[in-house]
Amino acid sequence: MFQGFPEIKEALIANKIQVAFMVAPMAIALRAQGVPIKIVYLGHRYGSAFVVRKDGPIHSVKDLPGKTIAIPSRFSDERLMVFRALKANGVDPKSLKMVEMAPPDVAGALAVSAIDAFSMGEPYPSQAEIGGFGRVLFHAREYWPDYMSCVVVVRQDIIDKRPKAVQTLVDGIARSGMWLDKGRDNRLAAADFVGRLYFNQPPKLLTWALTNPIDRVVYSSLTPRKPDFDLVRDLMIETGVLDKKIEFEEYIDTTFAEGGHGLTAWKWQPGDEQAN
Amino acid sequence: MTGRTKKLVLGLFVWSIVITAAHGWLNVNWAMLWNDRLPFDKRKLNVAYIPVT
Repeated sequence: MFQGFPEIKEALIANKIQVAFMVAPMAIALRAQGVPIKIVYLGHRYGSAFVVRKDGPIHSVKDLPGKTIAIPSRFSDERLMVFRALKANGVDPKSLKMVEMAPPDVAGALAVSAIDAFSMGEPYPSQAEIGGFGRVLFHAREYWPDYMSCVVVVRQDIIDKRPKAVQTLVDGIARSGMWLDKGRDNRLAAADFVGRLYFNQPPKLLTWALTNPIDRVVYSSLTPRKPDFDLVRDLMIETGVLDKKIEFEEYIDTTFAEGGHGLTAWKWQPGDEQAN
Repeated sequence: MTGRTKKLVLGLFVWSIVITAAHGWLNVNWAMLWNDRLPFDKRKLNVAYIPVT
């Protein structure tokens, strides 16, 4: 487990890790810079939100000029989401300030008014809501109907030399997504064991993020699609974080997403020793 | 070496062992080191994530 995307990027380049869940624009930028990686699957859809102080002066995107907004990285969908919202509301992006901040730090920064708002993935919007100091101004889907954020990135040498391992990984992620999207009970179970064993976060926080509403984060339709990535790439060029057009096939490998046939959700419930 | 000097050297030696052991326990990922020694096709893939969607 890492605390920030720059650290993941460095570990991937140094081959300390072979697979990473990473924000899509960072993966595209790395590939454009020649780092030998490919995106093989999505992590989820939606699950990002723009959050302001609950009792603060911001009640619309038009109130954002002059404000400071935290984002996870300049290479993030959360940043692009802000640009889309600003454009839709006729607000000049130069009229506000965006600062990069590690995801775990944003809720606390908002609480002490070090920032005026943040654009971030879950569970940090939920953390601000549960803490009583944050209010979601908009969710990603309001300005981006097919929003995606984190993608699964694999080093090219692993794709070339261990394709079966990559297929097993992608199939496992797909089956986990199907299991999560089966309903509330599975999401409650996931919030418990993921919070305790993997994220080191309170299960009630993940419960909020996974169920309020039930489609706050969605784990289906995770096959990489060209229109989705062309949109991200074009937004990156428009907002100045990518200086050349890179084609879908250069940084995406869809063979693993397409290679999982007849997959079903994991069969697991609390108390089972393993999933089947 | 006087008795006092011997005690000092012994104390420093024990302290070094304790600090080294603590460092090895807290900061060294032994599972990853072991994994790196396995043949390439037998290694587990190291998967990085941040607890955020």
